[in-house]
Amino acid sequence: MAGTIKKIHDWFDIRYRLDALKQFMAEKSVPVHRGSMWYYFGGVSLFLFIIQVATGILLLMYYKGSEDAAFESVQFVVAKVRFGWLIRSVHSWSANLMILAVFIHMFSVFFTKAYRRPRELTWITGFFLLVFSLTFGFSGYLLPWNTLSFFATKVGTDIPGVLPLVGQYFLELLRAGQDVTGATLSRFFGLHVALLPGIFVVVLALHLLFVQRQGISEPESWVTLPDSQKKRMPFFPNFVLRDLLLWLIVLNILAILAVFFPWELGQKADPFASAPAGIKPEWYFLFAFQTLKFIPAKVFSIDGELLGVLAFAVVGVLWLLVPFWDRRTPTGRRNRLINYVGIVAVLYVIVMTILGYLL
Amino acid sequence: MRNLTWVALILLPFCLGSGAFAQASSAKDQCYTCHAGLGDQLQKPADVYVKDVHSRVGLTCASCHGGDATSDDPEKAMSKQAGFIGVPKRSAIPTLCGKCHGNAEYMKTYDPNVRTDQLEKYRGSVHARENVRGDGNIAQCVTCHGVHDILPVNNLDSRVYPTNVIKVCSACHSDANFIKAYNPGLPVDQLEKYRTSVHGKRILSGDSKAASCASCHSSHDIRAANDPKSSVYVISIPQTCARCHSDAQYMRGYRIPTDQYSKFVKSVHGKALLEKHDTGAPSCNRCHGNHGAVPPGVKSISNVCGTCHSLNADLFASSPHKKAFDERKIPECDVCHGNHEVEPPTDDMLGVSQAATCTNCHKPDDQSKGYAVAAQMWALVDTLKRMDDSAKKVIADAENKGMEVSDARFALNDVRQALIESRTMVHSFDLMKFKLPASRGLELAAGSVKTGEDAIKNYYFRRTGLGILTLIISILALGLYMKIRKIEKKR
Repeated sequence: MAGTIKKIHDWFDIRYRLDALKQFMAEKSVPVHRGSMWYYFGGVSLFLFIIQVATGILLLMYYKGSEDAAFESVQFVVAKVRFGWLIRSVHSWSANLMILAVFIHMFSVFFTKAYRRPRELTWITGFFLLVFSLTFGFSGYLLPWNTLSFFATKVGTDIPGVLPLVGQYFLELLRAGQDVTGATLSRFFGLHVALLPGIFVVVLALHLLFVQRQGISEPESWVTLPDSQKKRMPFFPNFVLRDLLLWLIVLNILAILAVFFPWELGQKADPFASAPAGIKPEWYFLFAFQTLKFIPAKVFSIDGELLGVLAFAVVGVLWLLVPFWDRRTPTGRRNRLINYVGIVAVLYVIVMTILGYLL
Repeated sequence: MRNLTWVALILLPFCLGSGAFAQASSAKDQCYTCHAGLGDQLQKPADVYVKDVHSRVGLTCASCHGGDATSDDPEKAMSKQAGFIGVPKRSAIPTLCGKCHGNAEYMKTYDPNVRTDQLEKYRGSVHARENVRGDGNIAQCVTCHGVHDILPVNNLDSRVYPTNVIKVCSACHSDANFIKAYNPGLPVDQLEKYRTSVHGKRILSGDSKAASCASCHSSHDIRAANDPKSSVYVISIPQTCARCHSDAQYMRGYRIPTDQYSKFVKSVHGKALLEKHDTGAPSCNRCHGNHGAVPPGVKSISNVCGTCHSLNADLFASSPHKKAFDERKIPECDVCHGNHEVEPPTDDMLGVSQAATCTNCHKPDDQSKGYAVAAQMWALVDTLKRMDDSAKKVIADAENKGMEVSDARFALNDVRQALIESRTMVHSFDLMKFKLPASRGLELAAGSVKTGEDAIKNYYFRRTGLGILTLIISILALGLYMKIRKIEKKR
């Protein structure tokens, strides 16, 4: 047995120089410190993305992206296809958990200031991965073509329409017309299963490449710490096995959620019906939605909604460019402002999300 | 002097009755005096006015036409300065009459109990709608009451006395040319039908208590039948009919029951019409007719009910009961469902229990197979009903457990439909025909129950599967944890 494995190893080694890879893996290490647990959320996000891809491909075998058949095809998956209910439920739960993991990952990177030089591009690719994850969520939400998703999409796609000059064009681009129709569904379907996965995989590959190439970021306090006091753990097998252990726990949580709280299908969307009361977007958009609701219709003769959208755009750009405007951290000085900004951002998102559910 | 007063009081009614008093008052009326000798058209009003109720109470021509009735000079008497208006415009007549008849204080000087709401009511009527547009041909006061020969309503010769009013109304309403100018869809056969009705026959025989046009349509505030304020609006009809038919005192002598209304309000039709305001539900006229109102005869009952319950009527007409009922002169639908007190049919009306209507005729020792068929039909309906209930419970249970059973939930509609069809098919009184929808329903209900049960089984299977999966993942995780511990110990 051992001889056969060695033969296979040698076959590959001659062709692909496995020794170099083994050497790289043996040397790669992960810093061990008080905040090491936050390193795992990148891996959890990746694991949930893999689940999304796997369950998404399975759902694609039955899903029909048209106004007449979308709801019925999901209903068929849930009711008739063997384990279809499980696949759909896992896909929906995993999507939500993935966005949660991505948010945690992003804030942990922000607070540990891991975005600082030389990892600016890792932060930027990560930011775009978050944006793409949210777009995945938004486009996927419409695909079952049920009442809630239909009207939530209507409300959601209305928002860019308030932008001056390009708003109307952008709205029509999103909806493939003036209203949310079967054409919007086809567009969102294409976006969800072809365009986004393609872009996402490229950006994700870059993100992972940067992480592997530059190694995992060390905490700020390590800058002045002598090497002898820097505790490290081998990436392989220690960190990989710990990652795997967490993935198994996440898988267990996912299975329990999928079985005990199966994702509801609701009623088929009726474009001619009036919108049900209390239409709300998915939880990860709720803080933004609630903010727009709180802004008065007119602020100094400027449209309130427009002001909100522009404010979010400015905050988004500032968030994206944090490695460039945070000038203290890269030089080894403490920047408490970043911590305060981060705390305010986290509290704002949490409070607005809770208010979004309560009001 | 005192004696003379008594004589005058005793003679007064005779004077009023004979018109002597009226003639005396007309004699003082220079308009009357003059016109009475003019001949031709100009004399006609004076000729008939002596009998007019207004003339009898001392009103002169000037009371309506204006002018100075005391002057014998025509120029002065009919001058504009004296307020002479000539022949009033027809559309202005209601207002003209209403000047006195709408003035309670004035009218009470003649009769303390007199009505003064005629003009107000007329203004809400379908006739007034055209009148206010200036149409002089539409019915107004003089169209029905006459012009110069108006008599009290209770006068046998009055145009609006119950036995006469039908002629007044039909003068317009039987004239297709006249009516189509206002409402081409309005029938003009009311009088013809009325003559065939019980009411019509009695009126024509001189019975003024029988219903005539105004009894149902009212007199001054006549509204279109589709006007919810109309006394003949579908929801108001039962009360309109009940005004006479529930009045035992009034109906005494006709030897018909007076409990129709009290029964109707409790019936399925009455509740639908009067409580739910379902205007599609039948009112009295839907079964009895309106202008041609008659009690449906034994033979026509299924036709009457069949106007709405057409399928049931067709099934009954081709059933063995039809011939048997006709031979025995048994009223058809009525015998099981009743007439005014029709209650929602229950499955217990079928079968051989004490509550079943079948046992009224079919007995256990019955030579025909009716008794056995009734028992079998009830058993099948009862089974289908129980299966339907079971299927609903199982599906609801599966839904509560979060299972997707929308197909089975949809199939329940078909079970319900089959149950309704089976209950309808009872009216064929043919077991083979009855079994078709009943068997289909049983099959569908069994399918729904199975789907629901499978879904519930699947629900528990999922939990068992989850338990096994969680156990496997937990064992793997534990193994991994041990491995990590081992590796890290080595280091």
